[in-house]
Amino acid sequence: MKKRGLADLFFLLLVGYLILPVLATMLYAFASKWNKTILPEGLTLKWLSTLFQDTEFIQAFGRSVFLAGGAVSIALLVIVPAIFVIVLYFPKYEKWIQMAVVMVYSFPGIILAVGLIRVYSQIGIPMIFVVLGAYVVGILPYIYQGTRNSLRNIDARQLLDAAQLLGASKRQAFTKILLPTVYPGLFAGALLSFSVLFGEFVLINLVVGSRFETVQIYLMKKLSTSGHIASAVVFIYIVLMGLLTFVIAIVTKRSKGATNL
Amino acid sequence: MSYLVIEGLHKKYGQSTVLSNINMEIEKGEFITLLGPSGCGKSTILRIVAGLTDASAGKIAIEGKDMYGVQPKDRQVGMVFQSYALFPNMTVQENVAFGLRMQKVHSVDLEQRVQEMLALVHLSEKAHAYPKELSGGQQQRVALARALIVRPKVLLLDEPLSALDAQIRKKLQTDLRAIQRKLSMTMILVTHDQEEAMAVSDRIFVMNNGSIAQSGTPTEIYTRPENEFIANFIGHYNVFTRQDLEQMLGEPLSEQYSKFAIRPEALHFDKKNNDMCLTGKAKQSLMSGNIIRTTFEGETLFTMEQLHQQGYTIEMGKTYKCYVAKEDVIALS
Repeated sequence: MKKRGLADLFFLLLVGYLILPVLATMLYAFASKWNKTILPEGLTLKWLSTLFQDTEFIQAFGRSVFLAGGAVSIALLVIVPAIFVIVLYFPKYEKWIQMAVVMVYSFPGIILAVGLIRVYSQIGIPMIFVVLGAYVVGILPYIYQGTRNSLRNIDARQLLDAAQLLGASKRQAFTKILLPTVYPGLFAGALLSFSVLFGEFVLINLVVGSRFETVQIYLMKKLSTSGHIASAVVFIYIVLMGLLTFVIAIVTKRSKGATNL
Repeated sequence: MSYLVIEGLHKKYGQSTVLSNINMEIEKGEFITLLGPSGCGKSTILRIVAGLTDASAGKIAIEGKDMYGVQPKDRQVGMVFQSYALFPNMTVQENVAFGLRMQKVHSVDLEQRVQEMLALVHLSEKAHAYPKELSGGQQQRVALARALIVRPKVLLLDEPLSALDAQIRKKLQTDLRAIQRKLSMTMILVTHDQEEAMAVSDRIFVMNNGSIAQSGTPTEIYTRPENEFIANFIGHYNVFTRQDLEQMLGEPLSEQYSKFAIRPEALHFDKKNNDMCLTGKAKQSLMSGNIIRTTFEGETLFTMEQLHQQGYTIEMGKTYKCYVAKEDVIALS
Protein backbone atom coordinates (compact mmCIF):
# COMPACT_ATOMS: atom_id res chain seq x y z
CA MET A 1 0.00 0.00 0.00
CA LYS A 2 2.82 2.36 0.92
CA LYS A 3 4.59 1.65 -2.35
CA ARG A 4 1.38 2.18 -4.25
CA GLY A 5 0.81 5.55 -2.53
CA LEU A 6 4.34 6.65 -3.39
CA ALA A 7 3.89 5.60 -7.01
CA ASP A 8 0.62 7.56 -7.21
CA LEU A 9 2.31 10.62 -5.72
CA PHE A 10 5.14 10.50 -8.29
CA PHE A 11 2.60 10.01 -11.04
CA LEU A 12 0.63 13.07 -9.93
CA LEU A 13 3.83 15.13 -9.66
CA LEU A 14 4.81 14.10 -13.19
CA VAL A 15 1.36 14.88 -14.59
CA GLY A 16 1.41 18.23 -12.79
CA TYR A 17 4.89 19.01 -14.14
CA LEU A 18 3.72 18.30 -17.68
CA ILE A 19 0.23 19.75 -17.54
CA LEU A 20 0.66 22.89 -15.41
CA PRO A 21 2.64 24.96 -17.95
CA VAL A 22 0.13 24.06 -20.66
CA LEU A 23 -2.84 24.87 -18.43
CA ALA A 24 -1.23 28.12 -17.31
CA THR A 25 -0.56 29.16 -20.90
CA MET A 26 -4.12 28.30 -21.92
CA LEU A 27 -5.52 30.15 -18.94
CA TYR A 28 -3.37 33.19 -19.75
CA ALA A 29 -5.02 33.28 -23.19
CA PHE A 30 -8.35 33.92 -21.42
CA ALA A 31 -7.09 36.05 -18.53
CA SER A 32 -8.16 39.70 -18.53
CA LYS A 33 -5.50 40.46 -15.94
CA TRP A 34 -3.10 38.09 -14.19
CA ASN A 35 -0.24 39.82 -12.43
CA LYS A 36 -0.20 39.47 -8.65
CA THR A 37 -2.75 36.71 -8.02
CA ILE A 38 -2.54 32.91 -8.08
CA LEU A 39 -5.45 32.66 -10.49
CA PRO A 40 -6.50 35.23 -13.11
CA GLU A 41 -8.44 38.20 -11.81
CA GLY A 42 -10.96 37.81 -14.63
CA LEU A 43 -11.65 35.88 -17.83
CA THR A 44 -12.14 37.29 -21.32
CA LEU A 45 -12.35 36.24 -24.95
CA LYS A 46 -10.70 39.50 -25.98
CA TRP A 47 -7.33 37.98 -26.92
CA LEU A 48 -8.83 35.22 -29.02
CA SER A 49 -11.14 37.71 -30.66
CA THR A 50 -8.24 40.07 -31.38
CA LEU A 51 -6.29 37.18 -32.84
CA PHE A 52 -9.03 36.13 -35.22
CA GLN A 53 -9.50 39.73 -36.33
CA ASP A 54 -5.81 39.99 -37.16
CA THR A 55 -5.44 39.26 -40.88
CA GLU A 56 -1.73 38.70 -40.31
CA PHE A 57 -2.56 35.70 -38.09
CA ILE A 58 -5.18 34.35 -40.50
CA GLN A 59 -2.66 34.57 -43.33
CA ALA A 60 0.04 32.94 -41.21
CA PHE A 61 -2.36 30.16 -40.30
CA GLY A 62 -3.21 29.69 -43.98
CA ARG A 63 0.48 29.54 -44.90
CA SER A 64 1.15 26.91 -42.24
CA VAL A 65 -1.77 24.83 -43.48
CA PHE A 66 -0.57 25.26 -47.07
CA LEU A 67 3.01 24.22 -46.23
CA ALA A 68 2.15 21.27 -43.98
CA GLY A 69 -0.80 20.13 -46.07
CA GLY A 70 1.12 20.54 -49.33
CA ALA A 71 4.09 18.55 -48.06
CA VAL A 72 1.84 15.76 -46.74
CA SER A 73 -0.15 15.64 -50.00
CA ILE A 74 3.01 15.40 -52.10
CA ALA A 75 4.39 12.71 -49.77
CA LEU A 76 1.16 10.69 -50.08
CA LEU A 77 1.23 10.96 -53.86
CA VAL A 78 4.92 10.23 -54.34
CA ILE A 79 6.25 8.31 -51.36
CA VAL A 80 3.30 6.01 -50.62
CA PRO A 81 3.09 4.39 -54.09
CA ALA A 82 6.88 3.98 -54.01
CA ILE A 83 6.68 2.22 -50.62
CA PHE A 84 3.91 -0.06 -51.90
CA VAL A 85 5.85 -1.06 -54.99
CA ILE A 86 9.07 -1.64 -53.07
CA VAL A 87 7.47 -3.60 -50.21
CA LEU A 88 5.30 -5.74 -52.48
CA TYR A 89 7.46 -6.32 -55.51
CA PHE A 90 11.07 -5.36 -54.68
CA PRO A 91 11.51 -6.09 -50.96
CA LYS A 92 15.28 -6.27 -51.32
CA TYR A 93 15.33 -2.49 -51.91
CA GLU A 94 13.48 -1.78 -48.67
CA LYS A 95 16.73 -1.44 -46.76
CA TRP A 96 17.45 1.71 -48.77
CA ILE A 97 14.22 3.30 -47.57
CA GLN A 98 15.04 2.31 -44.02
CA MET A 99 18.46 3.93 -44.44
CA ALA A 100 16.83 7.11 -45.77
CA VAL A 101 14.46 7.12 -42.78
CA VAL A 102 17.39 7.05 -40.36
CA MET A 103 19.25 9.76 -42.30
CA VAL A 104 16.27 12.11 -41.93
CA TYR A 105 16.75 11.99 -38.15
CA SER A 106 20.52 12.42 -38.38
CA PHE A 107 20.47 15.94 -39.89
CA PRO A 108 20.19 18.74 -37.30
CA GLY A 109 17.85 21.54 -38.47
CA ILE A 110 20.59 24.18 -38.49
CA ILE A 111 22.86 22.11 -40.75
CA LEU A 112 19.96 21.28 -43.03
CA ALA A 113 19.01 24.97 -43.28
CA VAL A 114 22.55 26.10 -44.07
CA GLY A 115 22.93 23.31 -46.60
CA LEU A 116 19.67 24.19 -48.34
CA ILE A 117 20.55 27.89 -48.50
CA ARG A 118 24.03 27.20 -49.90
CA VAL A 119 22.81 24.75 -52.54
CA TYR A 120 19.55 26.33 -53.68
CA SER A 121 19.80 30.10 -53.05
CA GLN A 122 21.79 30.72 -56.23
CA ILE A 123 19.72 28.46 -58.48
CA GLY A 124 16.65 30.66 -58.60
CA ILE A 125 14.10 28.25 -57.14
CA PRO A 126 11.88 30.10 -54.62
CA MET A 127 13.19 29.05 -51.23
CA ILE A 128 9.69 28.31 -49.97
CA PHE A 129 9.50 25.44 -52.47
CA VAL A 130 12.90 24.25 -51.27
CA VAL A 131 11.50 24.15 -47.72
CA LEU A 132 8.42 22.35 -49.04
CA GLY A 133 10.70 19.75 -50.66
CA ALA A 134 12.68 19.37 -47.44
CA TYR A 135 9.41 18.90 -45.54
CA VAL A 136 8.35 16.12 -47.93
CA VAL A 137 11.59 14.29 -47.22
CA GLY A 138 11.37 15.16 -43.51
CA ILE A 139 8.09 13.32 -43.03
CA LEU A 140 9.33 10.17 -44.79
CA PRO A 141 9.73 8.32 -41.45
CA TYR A 142 6.10 8.93 -40.42
CA ILE A 143 4.64 8.07 -43.81
CA TYR A 144 6.90 5.02 -44.18
CA GLN A 145 6.12 3.65 -40.73
CA GLY A 146 2.39 4.25 -41.13
CA THR A 147 2.28 2.45 -44.46
CA ARG A 148 4.71 -0.31 -43.49
CA ASN A 149 2.94 -1.15 -40.24
CA SER A 150 -0.37 -1.42 -42.05
CA LEU A 151 1.16 -3.69 -44.67
CA ARG A 152 2.82 -5.83 -42.00
CA ASN A 153 -0.56 -6.84 -40.59
CA ILE A 154 -1.79 -8.26 -43.88
CA ASP A 155 -0.45 -10.47 -46.65
CA ALA A 156 -0.82 -7.70 -49.21
CA ARG A 157 0.59 -9.69 -52.11
CA GLN A 158 -1.87 -12.52 -51.55
CA LEU A 159 -4.79 -10.10 -51.22
CA LEU A 160 -3.84 -8.60 -54.58
CA ASP A 161 -3.56 -12.09 -56.11
CA ALA A 162 -6.96 -13.09 -54.70
CA ALA A 163 -8.61 -9.93 -56.03
CA GLN A 164 -7.11 -10.41 -59.48
CA LEU A 165 -8.26 -14.03 -59.65
CA LEU A 166 -11.77 -12.79 -58.86
CA GLY A 167 -11.69 -10.58 -61.93
CA ALA A 168 -10.20 -7.33 -60.61
CA SER A 169 -7.56 -5.43 -62.55
CA LYS A 170 -4.36 -4.49 -60.72
CA ARG A 171 -5.71 -0.95 -60.27
CA GLN A 172 -9.03 -2.21 -58.92
CA ALA A 173 -7.26 -4.61 -56.57
CA PHE A 174 -5.16 -1.72 -55.27
CA THR A 175 -7.98 0.80 -54.86
CA LYS A 176 -10.74 -1.54 -53.65
CA ILE A 177 -8.74 -3.87 -51.40
CA LEU A 178 -5.28 -2.69 -50.50
CA LEU A 179 -5.88 1.02 -50.02
CA PRO A 180 -8.97 0.66 -47.77
CA THR A 181 -7.11 -1.97 -45.75
CA VAL A 182 -4.04 0.16 -45.07
CA TYR A 183 -5.94 3.46 -45.02
CA PRO A 184 -6.18 3.85 -41.20
CA GLY A 185 -2.40 3.53 -40.76
CA LEU A 186 -1.77 5.78 -43.70
CA PHE A 187 -4.22 8.40 -42.45
CA ALA A 188 -2.71 8.35 -38.97
CA GLY A 189 0.78 8.77 -40.49
CA ALA A 190 -0.45 11.68 -42.60
CA LEU A 191 -2.06 13.47 -39.64
CA LEU A 192 1.02 12.92 -37.52
CA SER A 193 3.17 14.37 -40.30
CA PHE A 194 0.82 17.34 -40.63
CA SER A 195 1.00 18.13 -36.93
CA VAL A 196 4.81 17.84 -36.90
CA LEU A 197 5.15 20.17 -39.90
CA PHE A 198 2.54 22.61 -38.57
CA GLY A 199 4.74 23.14 -35.51
CA GLU A 200 8.04 23.29 -37.43
CA PHE A 201 9.95 26.50 -36.78
CA VAL A 202 13.71 26.05 -37.25
CA LEU A 203 13.88 25.38 -40.98
CA ILE A 204 11.23 27.85 -42.11
CA ASN A 205 12.66 30.60 -39.90
CA LEU A 206 16.27 30.10 -41.02
CA VAL A 207 15.64 29.53 -44.71
CA VAL A 208 12.73 31.89 -45.45
CA GLY A 209 12.13 33.86 -42.25
CA SER A 210 9.52 36.64 -42.19
CA ARG A 211 9.18 36.58 -45.98
CA PHE A 212 6.76 33.68 -45.49
CA GLU A 213 5.30 34.11 -42.07
CA THR A 214 3.85 30.90 -40.63
CA VAL A 215 2.01 30.49 -37.33
CA GLN A 216 5.24 29.64 -35.54
CA ILE A 217 7.03 32.74 -36.82
CA TYR A 218 3.96 34.84 -35.98
CA LEU A 219 4.03 33.36 -32.47
CA MET A 220 7.71 34.21 -32.11
CA LYS A 221 6.97 37.81 -33.10
CA LYS A 222 4.05 38.11 -30.70
CA LEU A 223 6.05 36.79 -27.75
CA SER A 224 7.85 40.13 -27.51
CA THR A 225 4.70 42.26 -27.88
CA SER A 226 1.81 40.53 -26.07
CA GLY A 227 1.97 37.51 -23.84
CA HIS A 228 -1.82 37.18 -23.96
CA ILE A 229 -1.89 37.04 -27.78
CA ALA A 230 1.03 34.60 -27.81
CA SER A 231 -0.86 32.42 -25.32
CA ALA A 232 -3.95 32.63 -27.52
CA VAL A 233 -1.86 31.39 -30.48
CA VAL A 234 -0.56 28.53 -28.36
CA PHE A 235 -4.12 27.75 -27.24
CA ILE A 236 -5.30 27.51 -30.86
CA TYR A 237 -2.30 25.37 -31.71
CA ILE A 238 -3.01 23.00 -28.79
CA VAL A 239 -6.70 22.76 -29.74
CA LEU A 240 -5.73 21.93 -33.33
CA MET A 241 -3.24 19.28 -32.23
CA GLY A 242 -5.83 17.88 -29.81
CA LEU A 243 -8.31 17.58 -32.65
CA LEU A 244 -5.75 15.84 -34.83
CA THR A 245 -4.86 13.45 -32.02
CA PHE A 246 -8.55 12.72 -31.47
CA VAL A 247 -9.04 11.95 -35.17
CA ILE A 248 -5.93 9.71 -35.17
CA ALA A 249 -7.29 7.85 -32.13
CA ILE A 250 -10.68 7.36 -33.80
CA VAL A 251 -9.13 6.15 -37.04
CA THR A 252 -6.73 3.81 -35.24
CA LYS A 253 -9.62 2.41 -33.23
CA ARG A 254 -11.59 1.81 -36.40
CA SER A 255 -8.64 -0.05 -37.88
CA LYS A 256 -8.74 -2.49 -34.95
CA GLY A 257 -12.28 -3.39 -35.93
CA ALA A 258 -13.14 -3.55 -39.55
CA THR A 259 -13.71 -0.66 -41.88
CA ASN A 260 -16.39 -0.79 -44.46
CA LEU A 261 -15.81 0.35 -48.01
CA MET B 1 -8.49 -33.47 -75.55
CA SER B 2 -8.49 -33.17 -71.76
CA TYR B 3 -10.14 -30.23 -69.96
CA LEU B 4 -6.92 -28.96 -68.44
CA VAL B 5 -3.61 -29.80 -70.04
CA ILE B 6 -0.21 -29.04 -68.57
CA GLU B 7 2.55 -29.86 -71.01
CA GLY B 8 6.32 -29.82 -70.52
CA LEU B 9 6.15 -27.27 -67.71
CA HIS B 10 9.49 -25.96 -66.45
CA LYS B 11 10.20 -23.27 -63.90
CA LYS B 12 13.56 -21.87 -62.90
CA TYR B 13 14.46 -19.18 -60.38
CA GLY B 14 17.94 -18.10 -61.40
CA GLN B 15 20.00 -21.28 -61.53
CA SER B 16 17.61 -23.22 -59.34
CA THR B 17 15.11 -25.51 -61.07
CA VAL B 18 11.78 -25.57 -59.26
CA LEU B 19 9.73 -27.53 -61.79
CA SER B 20 11.02 -29.96 -64.35
CA ASN B 21 8.98 -31.36 -67.24
CA ILE B 22 5.55 -31.47 -65.58
CA ASN B 23 2.87 -33.12 -67.71
CA MET B 24 -0.72 -33.53 -66.54
CA GLU B 25 -4.03 -34.15 -68.22
CA ILE B 26 -7.10 -33.44 -66.10
CA GLU B 27 -10.68 -34.16 -67.08
CA LYS B 28 -13.68 -31.95 -66.38
CA GLY B 29 -15.14 -32.53 -62.90
CA GLU B 30 -12.07 -34.38 -61.61
CA PHE B 31 -10.68 -33.78 -58.14
CA ILE B 32 -6.92 -33.88 -58.48
CA THR B 33 -4.40 -33.62 -55.67
CA LEU B 34 -0.78 -32.55 -55.94
CA LEU B 35 0.86 -34.29 -53.01
CA GLY B 36 4.42 -33.85 -51.88
CA PRO B 37 6.75 -32.54 -49.20
CA SER B 38 7.26 -28.80 -48.67
CA GLY B 39 9.29 -27.12 -51.39
CA CYS B 40 8.65 -29.76 -54.05
CA GLY B 41 7.04 -27.21 -56.40
CA LYS B 42 3.37 -28.11 -56.07
CA SER B 43 2.20 -24.59 -55.16
CA THR B 44 4.27 -23.19 -58.03
CA ILE B 45 2.22 -25.31 -60.44
CA LEU B 46 -0.96 -23.78 -59.04
CA ARG B 47 0.42 -20.25 -59.36
CA ILE B 48 1.43 -20.90 -62.96
CA VAL B 49 -2.01 -22.33 -63.80
CA ALA B 50 -3.58 -19.23 -62.17
CA GLY B 51 -1.27 -16.91 -64.12
CA LEU B 52 0.27 -15.44 -60.96
CA THR B 53 3.71 -16.80 -61.87
CA ASP B 54 5.20 -17.18 -65.34
CA ALA B 55 6.52 -20.54 -66.46
CA SER B 56 10.06 -20.76 -67.84
CA ALA B 57 8.82 -23.17 -70.50
CA GLY B 58 5.79 -25.31 -71.23
CA LYS B 59 2.15 -24.90 -72.00
CA ILE B 60 -1.11 -24.64 -70.04
CA ALA B 61 -4.43 -25.07 -71.84
CA ILE B 62 -7.92 -24.92 -70.38
CA GLU B 63 -10.73 -26.22 -72.57
CA GLY B 64 -8.28 -26.26 -75.45
CA LYS B 65 -7.38 -22.57 -75.06
CA ASP B 66 -3.70 -21.78 -74.59
CA MET B 67 -3.33 -19.65 -71.45
CA TYR B 68 -0.05 -18.03 -72.54
CA GLY B 69 -0.32 -14.27 -72.01
CA VAL B 70 -3.84 -14.47 -70.52
CA GLN B 71 -4.12 -12.27 -67.41
CA PRO B 72 -5.15 -13.96 -64.11
CA LYS B 73 -8.43 -12.01 -64.08
CA ASP B 74 -9.35 -13.39 -67.51
CA ARG B 75 -8.45 -17.05 -66.93
CA GLN B 76 -11.63 -18.03 -65.08
CA VAL B 77 -9.50 -19.85 -62.56
CA GLY B 78 -10.39 -19.60 -58.89
CA MET B 79 -8.02 -20.05 -56.00
CA VAL B 80 -8.33 -20.68 -52.26
CA PHE B 81 -5.24 -19.77 -50.29
CA GLN B 82 -3.77 -21.38 -47.19
CA SER B 83 -4.01 -18.07 -45.29
CA TYR B 84 -7.56 -17.52 -46.65
CA ALA B 85 -6.69 -14.08 -48.12
CA LEU B 86 -10.09 -12.70 -47.17
CA PHE B 87 -10.47 -8.97 -47.68
CA PRO B 88 -10.36 -7.59 -44.12
CA ASN B 89 -12.23 -4.42 -45.01
CA MET B 90 -15.30 -6.33 -46.21
CA THR B 91 -17.97 -8.42 -44.52
CA VAL B 92 -18.49 -12.08 -45.36
CA GLN B 93 -21.25 -11.12 -47.77
CA GLU B 94 -19.12 -8.47 -49.46
CA ASN B 95 -16.18 -10.86 -49.75
CA VAL B 96 -18.36 -13.48 -51.43
CA ALA B 97 -19.96 -10.88 -53.71
CA PHE B 98 -16.64 -9.33 -54.79
CA GLY B 99 -16.10 -11.53 -57.85
CA LEU B 100 -19.66 -10.95 -59.07
CA ARG B 101 -19.27 -7.20 -58.60
CA MET B 102 -16.15 -7.31 -60.77
CA GLN B 103 -18.24 -9.12 -63.38
CA LYS B 104 -20.90 -6.39 -63.00
CA VAL B 105 -23.62 -8.95 -62.27
CA HIS B 106 -27.05 -7.34 -61.73
CA SER B 107 -27.74 -6.65 -58.06
CA VAL B 108 -30.85 -8.89 -57.85
CA ASP B 109 -29.00 -11.87 -59.33
CA LEU B 110 -25.94 -11.04 -57.24
CA GLU B 111 -27.91 -11.00 -54.01
CA GLN B 112 -29.55 -14.34 -54.80
CA ARG B 113 -26.29 -16.05 -55.77
CA VAL B 114 -24.53 -14.77 -52.65
CA GLN B 115 -27.32 -16.09 -50.42
CA GLU B 116 -27.23 -19.48 -52.20
CA MET B 117 -23.46 -19.71 -51.84
CA LEU B 118 -23.53 -18.75 -48.17
CA ALA B 119 -26.16 -21.41 -47.59
CA LEU B 120 -23.99 -23.97 -49.42
CA VAL B 121 -21.11 -23.34 -47.01
CA HIS B 122 -23.47 -23.01 -44.01
CA LEU B 123 -22.57 -19.39 -43.27
CA SER B 124 -25.83 -17.54 -43.90
CA GLU B 125 -26.00 -16.31 -40.33
CA LYS B 126 -22.49 -14.85 -40.57
CA ALA B 127 -23.21 -12.77 -43.68
CA HIS B 128 -22.56 -9.46 -41.93
CA ALA B 129 -19.57 -10.52 -39.86
CA TYR B 130 -16.04 -9.40 -40.69
CA PRO B 131 -13.34 -12.01 -41.36
CA LYS B 132 -11.56 -11.40 -38.05
CA GLU B 133 -14.78 -12.24 -36.21
CA LEU B 134 -14.79 -15.77 -37.67
CA SER B 135 -12.97 -18.97 -36.71
CA GLY B 136 -10.33 -20.44 -39.03
CA GLY B 137 -12.76 -23.03 -40.40
CA GLN B 138 -15.41 -20.39 -41.06
CA GLN B 139 -12.89 -18.13 -42.77
CA GLN B 140 -11.83 -20.96 -45.02
CA ARG B 141 -15.46 -21.66 -45.93
CA VAL B 142 -15.87 -17.97 -46.87
CA ALA B 143 -12.76 -18.22 -49.02
CA LEU B 144 -14.23 -21.30 -50.71
CA ALA B 145 -17.59 -19.58 -51.28
CA ARG B 146 -15.86 -16.50 -52.69
CA ALA B 147 -13.91 -18.62 -55.16
CA LEU B 148 -16.87 -20.82 -56.13
CA ILE B 149 -19.42 -18.08 -56.74
CA VAL B 150 -17.79 -16.86 -59.94
CA ARG B 151 -18.11 -20.42 -61.31
CA PRO B 152 -14.47 -20.84 -62.30
CA LYS B 153 -13.49 -23.43 -64.87
CA VAL B 154 -10.86 -24.76 -62.50
CA LEU B 155 -10.63 -24.21 -58.75
CA LEU B 156 -7.16 -24.31 -57.22
CA LEU B 157 -6.82 -25.09 -53.53
CA ASP B 158 -3.41 -24.22 -52.07
CA GLU B 159 -3.17 -26.17 -48.80
CA PRO B 160 -6.51 -24.69 -47.73
CA LEU B 161 -6.95 -26.88 -44.66
CA SER B 162 -3.44 -27.10 -43.28
CA ALA B 163 -3.87 -24.25 -40.79
CA LEU B 164 -6.92 -25.87 -39.20
CA ASP B 165 -7.09 -28.34 -36.35
CA ALA B 166 -7.58 -32.04 -37.12
CA GLN B 167 -11.30 -32.26 -36.35
CA ILE B 168 -12.31 -29.25 -38.43
CA ARG B 169 -9.94 -30.34 -41.19
CA LYS B 170 -11.65 -33.73 -41.48
CA LYS B 171 -15.10 -32.09 -41.52
CA LEU B 172 -14.03 -29.63 -44.21
CA GLN B 173 -12.47 -32.42 -46.29
CA THR B 174 -15.88 -34.10 -46.40
CA ASP B 175 -17.64 -30.80 -47.15
CA LEU B 176 -15.14 -29.96 -49.88
CA ARG B 177 -15.61 -33.29 -51.62
CA ALA B 178 -19.41 -33.04 -51.33
CA ILE B 179 -19.43 -29.52 -52.81
CA GLN B 180 -17.08 -30.58 -55.61
CA ARG B 181 -19.36 -33.49 -56.52
CA LYS B 182 -22.49 -31.33 -56.29
CA LEU B 183 -21.07 -28.65 -58.60
CA SER B 184 -19.08 -31.12 -60.79
CA MET B 185 -16.21 -28.67 -60.58
CA THR B 186 -12.64 -29.39 -61.64
CA MET B 187 -10.47 -28.91 -58.59
CA ILE B 188 -6.75 -29.17 -57.96
CA LEU B 189 -5.74 -29.46 -54.33
CA VAL B 190 -2.21 -28.98 -53.06
CA THR B 191 -1.35 -30.73 -49.82
CA HIS B 192 1.48 -32.45 -48.01
CA ASP B 193 -0.98 -34.56 -46.02
CA GLN B 194 -1.30 -37.99 -47.66
CA GLU B 195 -4.39 -38.88 -45.63
CA GLU B 196 -6.13 -35.76 -46.91
CA ALA B 197 -5.08 -36.59 -50.47
CA MET B 198 -6.40 -40.15 -50.15
CA ALA B 199 -9.67 -38.95 -48.62
CA VAL B 200 -10.76 -36.46 -51.27
CA SER B 201 -9.06 -37.20 -54.58
CA ASP B 202 -10.05 -38.92 -57.80
CA ARG B 203 -6.39 -38.96 -58.77
CA ILE B 204 -3.18 -38.03 -57.00
CA PHE B 205 0.05 -36.69 -58.49
CA VAL B 206 2.86 -37.28 -56.01
CA MET B 207 5.66 -34.78 -56.48
CA ASN B 208 9.29 -34.83 -55.45
CA ASN B 209 12.02 -32.29 -56.22
CA GLY B 210 10.03 -30.45 -58.87
CA SER B 211 8.86 -33.45 -60.85
CA ILE B 212 6.02 -35.94 -60.71
CA ALA B 213 7.16 -39.10 -58.98
CA GLN B 214 3.95 -41.08 -59.55
CA SER B 215 0.33 -40.51 -60.46
CA GLY B 216 -2.77 -42.62 -60.10
CA THR B 217 -5.90 -43.22 -58.07
CA PRO B 218 -5.49 -43.19 -54.28
CA THR B 219 -5.69 -47.00 -54.25
CA GLU B 220 -3.04 -47.34 -56.97
CA ILE B 221 -0.72 -44.91 -55.24
CA TYR B 222 -1.15 -46.60 -51.86
CA THR B 223 -1.00 -50.22 -52.90
CA ARG B 224 1.54 -49.98 -55.73
CA PRO B 225 4.22 -47.41 -54.90
CA GLU B 226 6.65 -47.28 -57.79
CA ASN B 227 9.75 -46.18 -55.93
CA GLU B 228 11.26 -45.78 -52.50
CA PHE B 229 10.26 -42.11 -52.19
CA ILE B 230 6.57 -42.94 -52.71
CA ALA B 231 6.75 -45.93 -50.37
CA ASN B 232 8.26 -43.77 -47.63
CA PHE B 233 6.01 -40.77 -48.24
CA ILE B 234 2.73 -42.68 -48.40
CA GLY B 235 1.90 -44.46 -45.15
CA HIS B 236 4.55 -46.25 -43.11
CA TYR B 237 5.88 -48.71 -45.66
CA ASN B 238 8.69 -51.08 -44.64
CA VAL B 239 11.41 -50.65 -47.26
CA PHE B 240 14.09 -53.38 -47.51
CA THR B 241 17.13 -53.93 -49.68
CA ARG B 242 16.88 -57.14 -51.70
CA GLN B 243 19.77 -58.72 -49.75
CA ASP B 244 18.21 -58.00 -46.34
CA LEU B 245 14.79 -59.24 -47.36
CA GLU B 246 16.21 -62.39 -49.00
CA GLN B 247 18.03 -63.22 -45.76
CA MET B 248 14.93 -62.60 -43.66
CA LEU B 249 12.62 -64.58 -45.94
CA GLY B 250 15.17 -67.28 -46.66
CA GLU B 251 14.30 -67.34 -50.34
CA PRO B 252 15.55 -65.50 -53.45
CA LEU B 253 13.77 -62.45 -54.90
CA SER B 254 13.83 -60.99 -58.40
CA GLU B 255 17.33 -59.70 -59.17
CA GLN B 256 15.78 -57.07 -61.38
CA TYR B 257 14.99 -54.94 -58.33
CA SER B 258 17.24 -53.70 -55.56
CA LYS B 259 14.55 -52.62 -53.11
CA PHE B 260 11.23 -54.02 -51.91
CA ALA B 261 8.40 -52.62 -49.81
CA ILE B 262 5.80 -54.22 -47.55
CA ARG B 263 2.81 -52.37 -46.12
CA PRO B 264 2.83 -52.69 -42.30
CA GLU B 265 -0.80 -53.81 -42.24
CA ALA B 266 -0.03 -56.56 -44.79
CA LEU B 267 1.96 -58.37 -42.08
CA HIS B 268 0.07 -60.76 -39.80
CA PHE B 269 0.69 -63.58 -37.33
CA ASP B 270 -1.57 -66.22 -38.93
CA LYS B 271 0.11 -68.23 -41.69
CA LYS B 272 -1.87 -68.64 -44.87
CA ASN B 273 -1.02 -70.63 -48.00
CA ASN B 274 2.18 -69.52 -49.78
CA ASP B 275 2.80 -66.73 -47.27
CA MET B 276 6.36 -65.59 -46.79
CA CYS B 277 7.74 -65.36 -43.26
CA LEU B 278 9.73 -62.59 -41.54
CA THR B 279 11.16 -63.33 -38.12
CA GLY B 280 11.94 -60.57 -35.65
CA LYS B 281 12.19 -59.70 -31.99
CA ALA B 282 9.52 -57.28 -30.73
CA LYS B 283 11.25 -54.00 -29.82
CA GLN B 284 8.55 -51.38 -29.37
CA SER B 285 4.80 -51.16 -29.48
CA LEU B 286 2.83 -47.92 -29.93
CA MET B 287 -0.89 -47.49 -29.92
CA SER B 288 -2.27 -44.99 -32.39
CA GLY B 289 -6.05 -44.87 -32.04
CA ASN B 290 -7.39 -48.27 -32.95
CA ILE B 291 -4.06 -49.36 -34.49
CA ILE B 292 -1.16 -51.02 -32.67
CA ARG B 293 2.12 -50.34 -34.43
CA THR B 294 4.85 -52.78 -33.40
CA THR B 295 8.49 -52.55 -34.43
CA PHE B 296 10.42 -55.83 -34.84
CA GLU B 297 14.14 -56.34 -35.21
CA GLY B 298 15.24 -58.94 -37.74
CA GLU B 299 18.09 -58.43 -40.22
CA THR B 300 16.70 -54.95 -40.24
CA LEU B 301 13.88 -53.18 -38.41
CA PHE B 302 10.35 -53.58 -39.73
CA THR B 303 6.92 -52.49 -38.53
CA MET B 304 3.61 -54.29 -38.33
CA GLU B 305 0.24 -52.61 -37.87
CA GLN B 306 -2.69 -54.52 -36.43
CA LEU B 307 -6.15 -53.47 -35.39
CA HIS B 308 -6.35 -53.18 -31.63
CA GLN B 309 -8.29 -56.10 -30.13
CA GLN B 310 -9.05 -56.88 -26.53
CA GLY B 311 -6.64 -59.40 -25.01
CA TYR B 312 -4.22 -58.87 -27.88
CA THR B 313 -0.69 -58.36 -26.47
CA ILE B 314 2.81 -58.57 -27.85
CA GLU B 315 5.57 -59.29 -25.38
CA MET B 316 8.59 -57.06 -25.84
CA GLY B 317 11.85 -59.00 -26.37
CA LYS B 318 10.06 -62.10 -27.59
CA THR B 319 10.70 -63.39 -31.14
CA TYR B 320 7.69 -63.56 -33.46
CA LYS B 321 7.03 -64.91 -36.94
CA CYS B 322 5.22 -62.42 -39.13
CA TYR B 323 3.69 -63.56 -42.42
CA VAL B 324 3.06 -61.69 -45.64
CA ALA B 325 1.39 -62.73 -48.90
CA LYS B 326 3.75 -62.91 -51.87
CA GLU B 327 1.74 -60.35 -53.83
CA ASP B 328 2.15 -57.86 -50.95
CA VAL B 329 5.92 -57.80 -51.37
CA ILE B 330 6.22 -54.87 -53.76
CA ALA B 331 9.30 -54.43 -55.95
CA LEU B 332 10.46 -50.80 -56.16
CA SER B 333 12.09 -49.36 -59.25
